[in-house]
Amino acid sequence: MKRSDFPLLGFGVGLRRPHYAEILDSTPPMDWFEVISENFLVDGGRPLEVVDSVRAHYPVVMHGVSLSIGSTDPLNRSYLHDLRALARRLEPAWISDHLCWTGVGGRNLHDLLPLPHTEEAVTHTARRIREVQDFLGRRILVENVSSYMTYAHSRLTEWEFLAAIADEADCGILLDINNIFVNAFNHRFDARRYIDAMPPERVVQFHLAGHADHGTYLLDTHDHPVRPEVWELYEYAVRRLGAVSTLIEWDDNIPEFAVLTAAAAEARDREACALSAMRDVSLERLA
Amino acid sequence: MSDPDLDLKRLQEFFYRLITAPSGVAEGLARESTLPPGGLDRLVAGDNRMTSAERVEIYATGYFYRILEVLKEDFPASLAVVGADNFHNLVTGYLVDYPPTEPSIYFAGKSFASFLAAHPLREQWPFLADLATLERATLDSFHAADAPALDSDLMRSIAPAEWPALKLRTHPATRPVVSAWRIDRLLRAVEDGDAWRFPDREDVMIIVSRRDARVSWRVAEDAERTALLLASADGGAAFSEVCEAIATDAHATDDVAALINRLFAGWLRDGLFVCPAD
Repeated sequence: MKRSDFPLLGFGVGLRRPHYAEILDSTPPMDWFEVISENFLVDGGRPLEVVDSVRAHYPVVMHGVSLSIGSTDPLNRSYLHDLRALARRLEPAWISDHLCWTGVGGRNLHDLLPLPHTEEAVTHTARRIREVQDFLGRRILVENVSSYMTYAHSRLTEWEFLAAIADEADCGILLDINNIFVNAFNHRFDARRYIDAMPPERVVQFHLAGHADHGTYLLDTHDHPVRPEVWELYEYAVRRLGAVSTLIEWDDNIPEFAVLTAAAAEARDREACALSAMRDVSLERLA
Repeated sequence: MSDPDLDLKRLQEFFYRLITAPSGVAEGLARESTLPPGGLDRLVAGDNRMTSAERVEIYATGYFYRILEVLKEDFPASLAVVGADNFHNLVTGYLVDYPPTEPSIYFAGKSFASFLAAHPLREQWPFLADLATLERATLDSFHAADAPALDSDLMRSIAPAEWPALKLRTHPATRPVVSAWRIDRLLRAVEDGDAWRFPDREDVMIIVSRRDARVSWRVAEDAERTALLLASADGGAAFSEVCEAIATDAHATDDVAALINRLFAGWLRDGLFVCPAD
């Protein structure tokens, strides 16, 4: 796959309930919105009315939390049918979900559990991603999750695991920069090494979000502004991977829409700076 | 669990049990009869900052509190009645009996009222399950399927001679809730931020409905209860049956024709029925 198979959307934010009225009333400037798929897998009513209206004015992408692509349960066909129906309704630029498992035995933990970084998990998960892509009739993106535990029998690093799955499934990557930062702290690795290992052609989207510092670990809470260290890592990712559609996530203690707009604008500025620096370095090398 | 059991399925089942253990990961570990030598450390990498159990505990805490917060938001009146501590314990028990199975966390509370109906706390608050049913009905109405509502313009476009056979069916977002307690007053008090008091014992039907994407509810009049239950049954009910039900339930002093007129006007205004299929 090539990154250019997907549109470059610019800088967006997650569509969240406290902002519905403002977005619908004033259609503020925003490049695009990411919608949580499950919030709109309902029969009808206000949620679908809102997302239809938003879609009429903005590009959207669908981001899921319950595909459970790494679970050993059979793929949930009912969920996939609903997801496909929503995709036909919204015509999103792409569909993404997390590289994780969310339940087993027909039960759902409503959390994003990490997978062991093993060949078995690579094969298992990549096969399921291919099945999902065949069903949806499009490539999907998988996102690296934040995690608080690693499995002792993992044989691959997290970045090797992600790259191997994306390669074997021939899917895109939604690279969450905050999750890399959180995991680098929680599991003691070099975040830049992670980014260096990402295949540029597969990275279609970045996520930026805030986290909480619990002393002995960082918790991916999406309830804070993007931390300075994560902004720096974002600039590094832009220098390594180029311009990538970028989204600000904020799911708890949600501030005024203007705060999210400002964060998206900051991402735009930082991307421009990083790309400019990259061009300067290239010119120096040529000289 | 021995090393050959580190296949993905067994591993996921094992961590599912630990994360959902009602009293935490330590209790979950104690229940496991076949942990490998070295215990959890053989499966999860710990370090000097956090043990392997503490790392798994983050997920266990997240699981419980995420759903607790959703249920608090979905059942604010039930929470107000039992208090935070009881509610916490209720949710602990609820998740054991009704673990989430749906992809959307919106459905996490779908069986909460059924759980409360069989819970010992019903001795203290016998209306609790009905209250939770009402709270759940407002959520279900909010997300119910869209359908064109029968309105007065459409009724006028139908020849009066066809009215008796006209099939009336309640809109997917219309939910009648019956109770032997005035739970409507309790819910209204909580919604208004007022102090609630123990509801009076009195048969009541509450009609939850949605119009222009807004959910509202009201207490049904005596004369409309049977009629609305008929229309909400599978297949609905003929206009003539609904009118007969109203006439039967009307008070002796009621002007039945005027009553039917008034009730229908209200039903159509509130969008309680769907447009009949041709």
